[in-house]
Amino acid sequence: MVNILLCCSGGMSTSILVKKMKAAAIEKGIETEIWAIQMQDIDKHKEKADIILLGPQIRYALGEIQSEVSTKPVFVIDIMDYGTMNGEKVLNIALDKLGDAKN
Amino acid sequence: MDKVEMICFEIISSVGTARSCYVEAIKEARNGDLSKADELITEGNEMLRKGHAVHASLVRDEAEGRKTDISLLLIHAEDQMMSAETLGIVSKELIELYRNK
Repeated sequence: MVNILLCCSGGMSTSILVKKMKAAAIEKGIETEIWAIQMQDIDKHKEKADIILLGPQIRYALGEIQSEVSTKPVFVIDIMDYGTMNGEKVLNIALDKLGDAKN
Repeated sequence: MDKVEMICFEIISSVGTARSCYVEAIKEARNGDLSKADELITEGNEMLRKGHAVHASLVRDEAEGRKTDISLLLIHAEDQMMSAETLGIVSKELIELYRNK
């Protein structure tokens, strides 16, 4: 099971990306839990997440969030992938980064 | 996803990045790196301009009689755009304050 947490300022637009990522995961046959929250709620969710993805609108918070979760991978979703809601690509990048983090 | 939804995400993604640039710019100015702050303001302005351009295409369509269905997502995109615009003005003023300190 891979736990992927998406975080943006309101959690609204990101929840649509979640839907697309879930569909991509099912197609790939990977068991995942993917969910979106607003940045203010990160404390409650950071433990469960294996990887944290940030929306481009909170890129400024990358340093702060990374220091809160120490070694857990955190990255900002590419502006093009976010703008086109490319769930499959974002999922692949997340899985790649998780693979890198384990090695 | 329909055309308007795609446009909304393009707006959110561009102006959201702009907003982030402005916040980062203030932080850099506070830490004394004014040239980095200026760079981030320029990047933010470009992103805001892009978002505006996409939004303008919807306004133009409406002026020409092709109405867009109003969705919560579109309102959210406009909300993000307005907050980015405000933040842009404020961040530039703050950076000037740091520069003249």
